Amino acid sequence: MRHPKTVRAAALATLLIGGAALSGCSAVGGDDVVRLEYWGWGVGQSEQVALWNAANPDVQVRHTDAGGGTDSAAKLLTSSRAGNAPDVALAEYTTIPSLVIADVPRDITDLVADVDDAFTEGTWAQTTFGGQVYALPQDAGPMVLTYRADLLAETGQAVPTTWQEFGDVARAVHEQRPDTVLAAVPAGELGFWAGVSAQAGADWWSVDEDGWTVGIADERMLEVADFFEQLAVDGSIDTDPVLSPEYNKRVNDGTIGGWAAGIWAPSVLGGVAPDTSGSWEITPLPEWTPGDAAVPFQGGSALIVTKNSEHPEEAAAFAKWMNASTEGNQSLLDVRGVYPASIEGQELAIGNAPPSLMPQQTEFYDVAAEVSEDVLPTTWGPNVALATTTLTDELNAAIAAGTPWRDAFVATQAVVVADMEEVGYQVTTNG
Amino acid sequence: MTALDTRPGAGSRPGGAEGDRRTARSGAARPGAARASRRGKLLPTIVLLIGAFYCLVPVGWVFIASSKSPGELFTSFSFAPGTGLLGNLGDLFAYEGGQYGLWAANSLLYAGVGGVLSTLVSTMAGYALAKFAFRGRNLIFFMILAGVLIPGITLAIPQYILLSEIGLAGGPISVLLPIIISPFGIYLSRVFAQSAVPQEILEASRIDGAGEWRIFRHIVLPIMVPGMVTVFLLQFVGIWNNFLLPFVMLSDQADYPLTVGLYTLLSKGSGAPALYSLAITGAAVSIIPLTLLVLFLQRFWRLDLISGGLKG
Amino acid sequence: MADTALRPEMTHPVTASPAPRPARGRRRSPLAPYLFVAPAVVLFVVFMLIPLGYTIWSSLRAYRIEEGASVLGVRVDRFVGLENYVAVLQDAELLASFGRLGIYGVIAVPLTLGLALLFALLLDVPAVRAKRFARTAIFIPYAVPGITAALLWGFMYLPSTSPFSYVTNALGWGPIPFLEADGLFGSLANIAIWGGVGFNMIIIYTSLRGIPAEIYESARLDGASELQVALRIKVPLVVPALVLTGVFALIGTLQLYGEPNTLRPLTTEITQSWAPLMTIYRDAFLTDDLPSAAASSTILALGTVALSAIVLGVANRRRKEGVS
Repeated sequence: MRHPKTVRAAALATLLIGGAALSGCSAVGGDDVVRLEYWGWGVGQSEQVALWNAANPDVQVRHTDAGGGTDSAAKLLTSSRAGNAPDVALAEYTTIPSLVIADVPRDITDLVADVDDAFTEGTWAQTTFGGQVYALPQDAGPMVLTYRADLLAETGQAVPTTWQEFGDVARAVHEQRPDTVLAAVPAGELGFWAGVSAQAGADWWSVDEDGWTVGIADERMLEVADFFEQLAVDGSIDTDPVLSPEYNKRVNDGTIGGWAAGIWAPSVLGGVAPDTSGSWEITPLPEWTPGDAAVPFQGGSALIVTKNSEHPEEAAAFAKWMNASTEGNQSLLDVRGVYPASIEGQELAIGNAPPSLMPQQTEFYDVAAEVSEDVLPTTWGPNVALATTTLTDELNAAIAAGTPWRDAFVATQAVVVADMEEVGYQVTTNG
Repeated sequence: MTALDTRPGAGSRPGGAEGDRRTARSGAARPGAARASRRGKLLPTIVLLIGAFYCLVPVGWVFIASSKSPGELFTSFSFAPGTGLLGNLGDLFAYEGGQYGLWAANSLLYAGVGGVLSTLVSTMAGYALAKFAFRGRNLIFFMILAGVLIPGITLAIPQYILLSEIGLAGGPISVLLPIIISPFGIYLSRVFAQSAVPQEILEASRIDGAGEWRIFRHIVLPIMVPGMVTVFLLQFVGIWNNFLLPFVMLSDQADYPLTVGLYTLLSKGSGAPALYSLAITGAAVSIIPLTLLVLFLQRFWRLDLISGGLKG
Repeated sequence: MADTALRPEMTHPVTASPAPRPARGRRRSPLAPYLFVAPAVVLFVVFMLIPLGYTIWSSLRAYRIEEGASVLGVRVDRFVGLENYVAVLQDAELLASFGRLGIYGVIAVPLTLGLALLFALLLDVPAVRAKRFARTAIFIPYAVPGITAALLWGFMYLPSTSPFSYVTNALGWGPIPFLEADGLFGSLANIAIWGGVGFNMIIIYTSLRGIPAEIYESARLDGASELQVALRIKVPLVVPALVLTGVFALIGTLQLYGEPNTLRPLTTEITQSWAPLMTIYRDAFLTDDLPSAAASSTILALGTVALSAIVLGVANRRRKEGVS
């Protein structure tokens, strides 16, 4: 063989070019299927996506779990910056403003106009800014109080309907059982604090054509802080982190008797303490002013269509199916185990069996629907993540040092406002 | 013979004889000296055993804890074995349709392939830096070494953006590429090449007309195998234990290595509790392969390389 | 990192000749060395230099909302010069986190190296038993990734699952405050010590093993005890290894991230910005403030270089002064 190397090289080259040509052919040829990338976390996502794929052979969705709410949002920011973001993504309500200013989600006002009446105004408020819709609400977490019915029965306490009563019940329970608290109110749950604050009339962020208003240090919020501080000082409520191993142990022991959080709390507690099933119930969140039943959301997420996406109409169609169609809502309930944000979804829920934590409370979803009717519109600001970390650190420090909690909220507001002003917003404060 | 067991010029004197000579010389009273020499043997051993115990306690704990069912995890005594081992293992491997197995395979892929590529690159660079005098040699060496000082977090996002520009971000290749460059591996290879590759043989081969690549492949590589094995093992462990790079680069959970996978079990966010039982069982299972690797391949570690650059 | 410890002439190759002299007569390929280092250099430039450059460039910019946008306008990338650096250097929280690193480092570094040295010396004692077992057992933590180690120790610290607190509870003393303010630094340092002792021990031990036995045979013949031999002869001879492991431990301290971050959900004592790298992580990933993260990273990297240079410089000067 005279030139073995050259012959081999030529053969290799031919193979490579031929292979490339062939694969090129198939790509250009007859593939009309629109392929979408979807990032969503949580149980049952793949199954729900499979339902869509079966019914829509021309729009196939590939699902990826990119991590929980915080991680997904961080990945969305990074990937969008790199031009790599998926077509559709699940994002917590609190992260949507920061995504908007980073130019991640597409303005889908026109694309979702046809499902406008599928959601209440309060629900739309979390995804609409200046009249533009940036996300389609998926699940909602209207706040309720999840509590140990047996604990209240044994200590002779009535179910609280106002926060004042809640405080009295907490004190009474703790007096009778020194190792037990009615609830844990930790520093790290910004959703809780912002929620009870909105309930008291102090919105943490609000915006109009003149700019932003920040109300973290609003006097009404500070009074809320004082109220809970008093309970904590008495030992009637706990301030350690929620869902830590310690917390889980106490839930199992029955020494934590309740949780004021979104409607998703029972399924979380059910996963943590399955043996306590049957002892819990939910009741509407205690009111600040008797008769004022408006309730905030805590948690919940929505679907965005990214600017990156090359098929916005199909992506929006997928989102609308998931969040606003009958079939989609049914699978949100059955397959995903979340409480839908849409009106229809909430009506559908009423027929369902209650979560495993409270099989005895058959009117669970009736309570949920009733609560959801009167929801406070919530606006999240562009720097919720900063507010969360600042509040957690400041409040934990205040709790540890025994200094007034209200100072922590004042300090948090200062940081939040300074950050917003530095970025260039017009900001006024309410307190 | 492992590097750990050889000692240049050492005679093998039984400890007893030494002790006797010592006591004879010091002239101390015989019973006291005998007791002293016994204590001399015992104390170091005891201290070492305490150290060994301290190092093994958490490892022992995690294996015991993985045998506890989720209910028992927080309610029973730490070191009491539980009843849920099989259940935990079943849950672990069934999680999300078998993702744990995928994670383990991914770890093996990144560490194995990454380790091999990294070793090759490091060996080539180390050989050149050690055995050739060329312009820019010192500059290149110190620049690469300075790479050790840059925190990984700083580089993670720019690396991600860079790979996105080329269109490679998000998949396994985005993890494999950045881990190939290893300043420490290059340093070790250089030290090893310096001491183990005889200049005379290189010169002789060149005189005989061999090309540089042939010399490298047939003479240098075989000599450098022990050093390469060390570099590979260090890289393997380092990549296996790496968290930040795959966390930033990968978007699909199915591509995660074990470190990132375990992290996701723990950080589900406020809406879902951390899957502590799964995470503990997963951690226990993930420790096993690396521990076995370290145990069985101890004989090949030439870690004297690391301090070998500093004799004097 | 231009230090004498790494200059070629300081190395003592055992079997080969020193650095090559120019080729005699026969011309060899001048390109060869460049080709061999090419992959490493290319990868280094692509994955370290360019990202570093991007980081520095990014640190000179910031995200600002366009003029007049009141609601949720899209922000733009703008050049702001050294503003980020000024903000970082004035950030009280960041400076406090460096202070915390200092306390942490004072506990972790000496203990890691001290224990590593101790165990290495003990392994080298002729009469010691269970050498194989102890050496292996102490090395095992090296095989455990940082996240896993922090998780394991987290459970060892939590009052409800800690075996140590169990014991003290049974004795009536209450739980040990591992995760409270009093014990926090020790608890965090412990995780690093636990993970680092084995590897460093092996490095020092192999360095010890490279010392010819004749050097202390004579000392032993003169009646020196094992302890004296260890302190007077062995330790000074392994100082270079100690310096190397010390510099690595120092760099590891400055880049502390995994342990406090993993323990953060378990205790209220650790803030999001407890360690500098945690602040950088928060800026880069959580609050999407990449330019701030870039500025902080650059300062951290410069500080690491400076500190390493100082340590190595001091070590070299001491070595030159104290000639063996």
